[in-house]
Amino acid sequence: MTLKEKIESNQFIVCGEIGQPQSCDGDVIRNKSKHFKNYVDAVNITDNPSAVVKLSSMASAKILLEEGVEPIMQMTCRDRNRLAIQSDLLGAAALGIKNLLCLTGDYQKFGDHPEARGVFDLDSIQLIATVANLNQGFLLSGMEMKKKTDFLIGAAANPFAKPFEMRLIRLYKKIGAGAKFIQTQPVFDMELFVKWTEKAVEMGLHEKCAILSGIMPVKSAKVLEYMKEEVPGVKINEEYINRMKQAKDPKEEGVRIAVEQIQTIKKLKGIRGIHLMPVMWESITPVIIQEAGLKTFS
Amino acid sequence: MQSLKNLVTYNNPPMTPGERKVSRLVLLFEDLVKVPIFRCQRCGECILSSTAFICSQNCPKRLRNGPCGGTGEDGSCEVYPEKKCVWYKIYYRSKLFKRLSLLYKINKIHNWCLEGTAAWLSVFRKRIDGPIWFVRNDKQKVKEII
Repeated sequence: MTLKEKIESNQFIVCGEIGQPQSCDGDVIRNKSKHFKNYVDAVNITDNPSAVVKLSSMASAKILLEEGVEPIMQMTCRDRNRLAIQSDLLGAAALGIKNLLCLTGDYQKFGDHPEARGVFDLDSIQLIATVANLNQGFLLSGMEMKKKTDFLIGAAANPFAKPFEMRLIRLYKKIGAGAKFIQTQPVFDMELFVKWTEKAVEMGLHEKCAILSGIMPVKSAKVLEYMKEEVPGVKINEEYINRMKQAKDPKEEGVRIAVEQIQTIKKLKGIRGIHLMPVMWESITPVIIQEAGLKTFS
Repeated sequence: MQSLKNLVTYNNPPMTPGERKVSRLVLLFEDLVKVPIFRCQRCGECILSSTAFICSQNCPKRLRNGPCGGTGEDGSCEVYPEKKCVWYKIYYRSKLFKRLSLLYKINKIHNWCLEGTAAWLSVFRKRIDGPIWFVRNDKQKVKEII
């Protein structure tokens, strides 16, 4: 069953995420994919996250396909103009990549090449419309293609940045442009997330797309403190930092927090699944999935 | 909901050399108004009226459809933390001016051919949508949209 079919058949979705190496070593991805195979429905493959150069998302997605893991390819607008985006998407479709996550992309200042020129020819919402247009069989030039693409379009949402209402407007726009699933930023403020979900349900957005909530297991309190200080738009409740600090075994506590979050989120109306982002800690995925009692997949 | 065709196609009668000359003349006057007041970036496809008269093109990513995910707790821009996020300002001014319903509209893919040309002329030539001056019953409209 593909991710698309699972979303259509109302299953609880579990997505993972793999970070690529900063080299041409494809075996890193092959090894990491073992932590996800048969545990999750699909795995995100990042596209130069935080504007740091990494192995390309399309190539990594192809490696995952070969390994028997369904990839969700991320596509950002920072590095490509509309020509490159469309040609890359056609290439991805030809390689058999079915799922796409459309993002604007982090600003180049945050990466390893701060001197670079950002493109930002399209924004994420316009990118979604572009992919929807390809799915209908047209290029942006208006030319009709001989074969349509068949992408499942995803988008990201950040319920935690300000202004709160604007986040819902953007979610509305993304769905209006053609997004079929939404992955949120990692939840570290459950109260705000619940409020955001309630509003989204009130607007009826949960019926038009599958909202997957981001879950990020962390190894130590330091990671949380770093994220709070350095990563823009992330909101972290003090409670989590304190819990991680006081824990005897921070790693175990990190897993416990993630499992608790999953169990809370499972009960929320309007949330259709989770998106696990164990950054630099991919091996923990099977543990969390088993402890949270999410069914394993065959 | 807007139709997909509307989002990805531009109404684009090509500019003749003669029209470009006129455009330069119009731009002289347009710049006099828009640059000092709105810090216009001359994108040529003006959406000022739907963004509560704050130029969205001052965003470092030049986003036309709302803020990125990096707006700080105090509304600061992620790229230049000493500045306020342009879209943060747009949201609160739209709220103040009762123009929130305009924020739900998706701004279509930017036509870069129009950069550095007079938006006023493009409105006249029906390349781009004209400005929306008044919004009545904003709350009602938002409810209808949702």
